[in-house]
This record gives sequence, structure tokens and C-alpha cells, in this order.
Amino acid sequence: MGEPVAPLTPPLIQRAALGRAIALGLWALVLLRSVADGRLDLLLRAAFHPLVALAGLLLLGLAGLQLALGLQPEGATERLRPRQAWNLAATAVLAGMLLMLPPSPSFATLAGQRPPDRTAVTAPDAELSFTLPPAQRSLTDWVRLLRSQPDPRLFDGDPVRISGFVLPQPDAPPQLARLLVRCCLADAAPVGLPVRWPPATTPPQADQWLAIEGVMALEGPPGSEQLVVVPREVQVIPRPARPLEP
Amino acid sequence: MPSPATSLANAWALFQGLLIEALPFLLIGVLISALARWLSPGGGWLRQLPSDPLLGPLTGAGLGFALPACECGNVPVARQMLVAGAPLGTALGFLFAAPVLNPIVLASTFAAFPDQPWLLLARPVGAVMVAVGLSLLLRLIPEPELLRPELLAERRLNQPLTSVSLLERSGGLLGPPQSAPPPAPPPRPSPGELIRHGANEFLGLALLLVLGCLIAALVQTFVPRGWLLAVGSAPTLSVVALMLLAWVVSVCSSVDAFLALSFAAQVTPGALLAFLLLGPVIDLKLLGLLGLLFRPVGLALTAAGASLLVLLIGQWVNLWRL
Repeated sequence: MGEPVAPLTPPLIQRAALGRAIALGLWALVLLRSVADGRLDLLLRAAFHPLVALAGLLLLGLAGLQLALGLQPEGATERLRPRQAWNLAATAVLAGMLLMLPPSPSFATLAGQRPPDRTAVTAPDAELSFTLPPAQRSLTDWVRLLRSQPDPRLFDGDPVRISGFVLPQPDAPPQLARLLVRCCLADAAPVGLPVRWPPATTPPQADQWLAIEGVMALEGPPGSEQLVVVPREVQVIPRPARPLEP
Repeated sequence: MPSPATSLANAWALFQGLLIEALPFLLIGVLISALARWLSPGGGWLRQLPSDPLLGPLTGAGLGFALPACECGNVPVARQMLVAGAPLGTALGFLFAAPVLNPIVLASTFAAFPDQPWLLLARPVGAVMVAVGLSLLLRLIPEPELLRPELLAERRLNQPLTSVSLLERSGGLLGPPQSAPPPAPPPRPSPGELIRHGANEFLGLALLLVLGCLIAALVQTFVPRGWLLAVGSAPTLSVVALMLLAWVVSVCSSVDAFLALSFAAQVTPGALLAFLLLGPVIDLKLLGLLGLLFRPVGLALTAAGASLLVLLIGQWVNLWRL
């Protein structure tokens, strides 16, 4: 009796600062988790990954500083205003959704809605593909090479070892394709190679990832031939860790 | 036709891509804004910038070279300029032109289009023309009708009593300004105050960015891009189509040149320039962020004015280049 009772709720300054620290920490968690769980490989060009990690670490540091400053006794005058409380709640809901629901896009659908990439040999590392042995060229290398050297007869019979996802075509058999990104998934554009699918097998499913070994062959009437991939072996593979190409 | 579940999954992935890419740039902008508050607490030098209708926006545009941020990072910096009492035209010139007139964006444009020297010149020149035009347009509206009330209240406190009445300022000292001693410069904010302010700014802007990214992702998912590029060779329609694309795609100005490269061969030169000019000024992702500065009428005028100016520039380029 007569003993002062300690308040059950923290002082107002601590609540407001605590709210900010939690919200900053949640954004930091979203960014750092995106770096750690590999989802960035599905969303952003690799050049941006360090920037995201750095931003996550900075936000984490700011959250820590905010927490430390908020716990200091002076200036206990700041209320957690309704608007700040609403912001904190919205941030928490959003961060929870971002953390729990990783992206799972359909590359074939995305690619189907976009015109193919028309970048020719001006791409930064396109010239490297000239020096690579044919069997080491990626699908993107092949597409760029064929654009820079439009005579398809030069590559007739070359060995091919490529991987990509199955991209259905409106009036033609499905192609094997990749998505190129300059920045993030929002600007991804497809590049694809026509494939002469083995007639006896069932047609491949859209979005299925395949590794194909085979050769390049000419197809079409004389004078307007185009190269197609003739598979010797087709293997279903899981989606690669880094499915987007620069 | 993709199933609704597939479309939603794609929209969710696009949303995450846009948001996670933009958040670091937003943080950079908030940090620059906080640094400016610390280095120049009252922002006195900003009030000394020219308020001339033409020279003001040009000066603001030139500041882009000193603060290399894309359009997301620019918003908090421009807000800080307005709060510090910078002339309206100067702050708007910075807001609209700096996303193009900075070293990173000019270098990326050069990297994407090394063989098109006219574009390397036309992009910064066009950006300055759009910024000056928009500044002149928005100056026609009184500040209380243009700027958000919270921003205006903060701005009024930093404007001299010779230009703002006590009633407008909602506070201050009575007396003739010429006889009063010069006010002492405000103290440098404490680290705690700086962090509190920066954190509040980042958290508020991040949620607005979320809104913009969400709209952009949904529109991208449900409006096939091929529709917009289908009219690539028509002089006027191609400009309009690429402007719509810039609205929808909402990528940062530091990388949009590489995106433009992927369809440069399919569209007219004027349309290409229109894409590179409009995106840094306004797009779906920016709508929320700009809503922190402008009232709806200012936002609508910015959107309409920028679109009209860019359309005119694109048309003119097509007359010249085609």
C-alpha cells in the first residue's frame, strides 16, 4: 500500500520511436530477405543486387539507431499519431505479404504479352559470343549472333547446347526462350530460337524449362532460310537459379 | 488468354520487381534530403536561388548535376527544397529536369545509344524544355491551391515575412521587418531529430511508392505491351503509344534508355524521345510520390502539361527526322 505502480505502457516517445523502428526494420527485412532467398534473381538484374543489400543494411542500421534514440529519456513529448499508427499497420501487412508470398511469375505469359527484344549487336557483351565455341553459346548468345550475322548458312550444322523456357507462338511451334532484363522484371523482353520438336513426342508445356542438345539446321525455301534447333536430346530441368539474362 | 491466377501471380512479381528496385533510390533521396537539412539547417542558400520565371527552373534543372538521383529519389529532395523556401520555379525545375540532367542518366543514355548523337543532345535539351514549360504552367496557380497543405505550412515558416503575410504563415512576430534584427539561423538539427524526420519521410514515401508500383504492375499485366507498340511506324500515334508505355512501365530514369533500346528499331525517333522524356517526369509509379507535393489540381496539371509538351516535342522531332 502506498507503493507507486510502474506504468504498464511505455512512455509516448518510446511508442512513437518504437513504431518507426519496427517499420524501418520491416522494410530492411524485406530487402535483406529478398537478397538472401534468391528472389532478386527472379526480379532484378544482378547489377542492382548489391544496391538492394546495401539499402537493406542501411535501413536496419537506421532502425537500430531509431530504437536506441527512442529509448533515451529526454523529450518524452512525441505521441504516436493515428496517421503514424496507420502507416505502421500498413507497412506491417505489406511486409508480411512480401515475406510470405515470394514471386512466382509465368515467364511464358509475360513474354507472350511483350514484343521480342530487338537489340542487335549493340548489347554490351555481344561481341563475346563470336569468340565462343558454338556448343558454349547460350540461347541469348545465339540470338545476338544470328542478328549480327544474318547469313544463316554460316551456322548450319553447328552444335547447340542451350537451355530456356518453352514459349508458345501464335502461328508456329513453340520456341525455346529467355527473358532479357535491363533493370527489373517490368522491362523484361523475350528472345527465342525456333526448335524442330521431335514429332513422336508430346509438345512441350508452356513455361517448362528445357535443356536441349542438338545442331543448327536450315529450314525454309531457298533464299529465305532460317536456322532452327534440331534437338538430339531434350531434358526437362528445374528453373535455373538466375533465369533472367542481361 | 492467361488464367486469372497466372495474371495475378505475374502482377505480384512485377510489383515486387518495381518496388524492390525503387526502394534503394528512394532511400538515397531521403538521405540526400537529410544531409541537406544537416548541412544547411534553414536552407538559406536555397532562398537565394533565382526566382525569375525562366532562370529559376534552369537553375533548378542544373542542380541535377550535383544530386544524381532518379525520379523516385528526387521527390524527397525537391520537397526539402520547397520546405526550405526555395523559389517555386527553381524547385519545380529541379523536380522535373534533374532525373534526366544528371551524370548517371546521361551516361546510361550514351551507353544505350552511342550511335545516335542527336538523341544524346535532344534528351537533356527536351527535359529542360519540359521542366521550364511545366514550371511556367504551375506558377500560374497560387501556391495554396498547388501544394499540399502540410508542405505549404512548413514552407511558409521558412519564407520571409516580406513575401508571406502573418495570416498565411499562421505564426511569427509582429512588427516592421526592416527594423527587426536579422533572425538567427536555426540550429543544426540533432541526430535524433534528423533520424526521426528522415524515418517519417521514408516510411510515408515508401507507402506511396507501393501504391504507384501496384497500379503500374496491374496495368502492365492486363494491357499487353504489343498493343502499344503496334502503331510504331505512325508518326503521331507512335508518339502517343510510347508516351502511354512510359506511363505504364514506370522504370527509373537511370535505366529507361536500355529499355528503350529494346524497341528503338520498331518506333519513330520522336516516339523514342517522347518515351525518354515523359517517364522521368510522370508515370503511374510516381503518381503517389508526387501526391505528397501537389494537390490533385497540381497533379492533374503536371500530368496533362507534361504529356502535351512531350507530344509536341515528339511530333516536332518526327517532322525533322522522318
